[in-house]
Amino acid sequence: MTALLTRRATLLGAGGLAALRPAAASALRPIREQDALIAFGHTGPVTDGGWTHQHDLGVEAVRAAFPRLKTIFVESIPYSADATRIFRQFVAEGAQMVMATSNYGDFIRDVADRAPEVAFMECDGRNVSGNLGWYYITHWYASYIIGIAAGLLSKSGRLGYVASFPISSVYAGANATLLGAQSVNPNATMQVISINAWFDPQGANQAGAALVDSGCDFLCGIMDEPAYLRVAQERHVWAAMWNTDMRRFGPDAYVSSVTLDFAPYYVQQIGDRLRGTWRPDAHFLTLGHGVDRDAWGRNVPESVRMQADAARTKMLAGWSPFVGPIHDASGRMRVAPGQTMDDMALYSWDWPLRGVSGLA
Amino acid sequence: MSVHMTRLSIVPARRVAIGRALGLLVAVMIVGITLAAMGRPPLELLTLILRSTVGSRFGIEDLALFMTPLMLTGAAVWVGVRVGLWNIGAEGQFYAGAVAASAIGLFGTMPAIVEIPLMAVGGILAGMVWIALPAAARAWLGVSEIVTTLLLNFVASLIVFYLATGPWADHVTGALASTERLRVGLPEVWGAVHIGFFLSLLAVIALAAFLSRSRFGYESAVVGANPEAARYAGMAVSRNVLIVLLLSGGLAGLAGMIEVSGTVHRLQGGLANNYGYLGIVVAILARRSCLALIPAALLMGFILDTGIVLQTAQISASAVLAITGLVMMAIAVGDELSAYARPAIQPKTSGQTS
Repeated sequence: MTALLTRRATLLGAGGLAALRPAAASALRPIREQDALIAFGHTGPVTDGGWTHQHDLGVEAVRAAFPRLKTIFVESIPYSADATRIFRQFVAEGAQMVMATSNYGDFIRDVADRAPEVAFMECDGRNVSGNLGWYYITHWYASYIIGIAAGLLSKSGRLGYVASFPISSVYAGANATLLGAQSVNPNATMQVISINAWFDPQGANQAGAALVDSGCDFLCGIMDEPAYLRVAQERHVWAAMWNTDMRRFGPDAYVSSVTLDFAPYYVQQIGDRLRGTWRPDAHFLTLGHGVDRDAWGRNVPESVRMQADAARTKMLAGWSPFVGPIHDASGRMRVAPGQTMDDMALYSWDWPLRGVSGLA
Repeated sequence: MSVHMTRLSIVPARRVAIGRALGLLVAVMIVGITLAAMGRPPLELLTLILRSTVGSRFGIEDLALFMTPLMLTGAAVWVGVRVGLWNIGAEGQFYAGAVAASAIGLFGTMPAIVEIPLMAVGGILAGMVWIALPAAARAWLGVSEIVTTLLLNFVASLIVFYLATGPWADHVTGALASTERLRVGLPEVWGAVHIGFFLSLLAVIALAAFLSRSRFGYESAVVGANPEAARYAGMAVSRNVLIVLLLSGGLAGLAGMIEVSGTVHRLQGGLANNYGYLGIVVAILARRSCLALIPAALLMGFILDTGIVLQTAQISASAVLAITGLVMMAIAVGDELSAYARPAIQPKTSGQTS
């Protein structure tokens, strides 16, 4: 908990973020538990077995902690003007707090601006206003740990990454994994395929197969569901996943997963809102406090587990692997020797690491 | 005892309206019974739907915003269907129009009063360019426009994803997978309802007037009804096909321009929201009348909006999709059944059925 608080304090002290913070964000009034309506807007179906499912477990935890409040959710919200309609409908229904579990940008900002009495939180958001904040997980540390395992397990040194869109969470995920791999195999490279969706099992399947066809023997990515793990299982290559334990979809191929747990954070956020102490801010769930690597897969050798976990132990003690020199795909040095990329820099990573192809 | 029915070749509009209303009623009743069986009070949901759509200021604004692109993509498909051409590519032309409008809106340096009309013209032209190849192939080579227009949708969608996450990606405000906010936007007239709504309305009315009064309107109708007769009468069949499809693409392109500059303000993947495909439904609902596109778009918007209300009322997304499908099917069945009537004179041999 202290690690979380210090990181949060550092984060809020960061100049760029301070500028985003409103001058006077006054707390919204407290609500009685039985009068509360908390709305959740999800990007995928709650049955995706991954991202949205993990958020839904958080919703369940909220219901268990506050049995008298009411929660509603809408799943598979498109990134179009329909999102605005849905958030607006939440407000019309009387929700006092709206949690969007994906980045809806202007679609949520427009609604938040017109409903100042409602609290809004956006996962992977970028805006903080008088009644809108954001939260995210520092998944790059878990990705780096898994990357070390990838570097040790991959025979060809070629990793494949199934991506959604070329956006910062993808850059951070792909770069951090490859950086971890390069720490044990300097020649490791990564090929990325973007499928323009977070939940498209068929697309992820095809991308995974294409990556294996082109010589990758370790698949990783950032999908809401487990499709490419099945590909890895069938094609006898390794795979690392996201969101949760997915080993049942490919027990032999499974290496680990970037696991997420939003439950304590959601309970705290909704509790703050009920007590009238909620304030919009930016918050990272950190390694060991909402994001981690999963228990290793059954075929991952003990030596690999130990080497990767050694880095994890160091990270938990405050070490960061994201120290320069770090070069981009064109060979240009982006992080000077000795300079450390802080969480805000990693959160807004927008260039591919040296060795990454397929990300512009 | 049997009843003889005949299929009417021309169905009076009132008959169709009654058929559809009955179909809709049956669908609503089936949905109501199903919801009641699921333990959801149907009347309460109905009240909620009415309150959240036609019964509140926000609801009416949303309906208008839904209708705006639907009227235009509906018109885009309708002008083709009227002459037997199926433009399934309104989605792609919509994207093309949005791309052109965004290019001007992002990189232009002129005042809004000049730039907005320029974006509209750009959007229309881009929609026409996007359908030009399928249109030419159809007009002179007889290549089915259904397949070619459809396939170009995917190309357009991927180009938008590429632009929004690549060269035009927003690196300033950190919006993900989208461009920066366009510098200019359509002025809002009533709440969130912008002038695009009135432009779309005007476009449909103007189209109706143009097609019913112009020589082109008449000729293209003849070409559609009977190309051989049209050719015999000295009409330029290929040219008419080409112009109809270009007009169709232009209307869809305008829809894209209005959506991006009035409602969404950023170019991004998923922008079209299936409006291109839904335009097909709107066009079919409108049948022979161009002006009927307006109530058809309203009905479609109402159904879509109802879907959103039902989802926030915790009816699952799949159930909502099933309900939407059921309603559309009931309307189609009502539509078809209204074409059957008892003939004025019943055959004498009532004992036997043939």
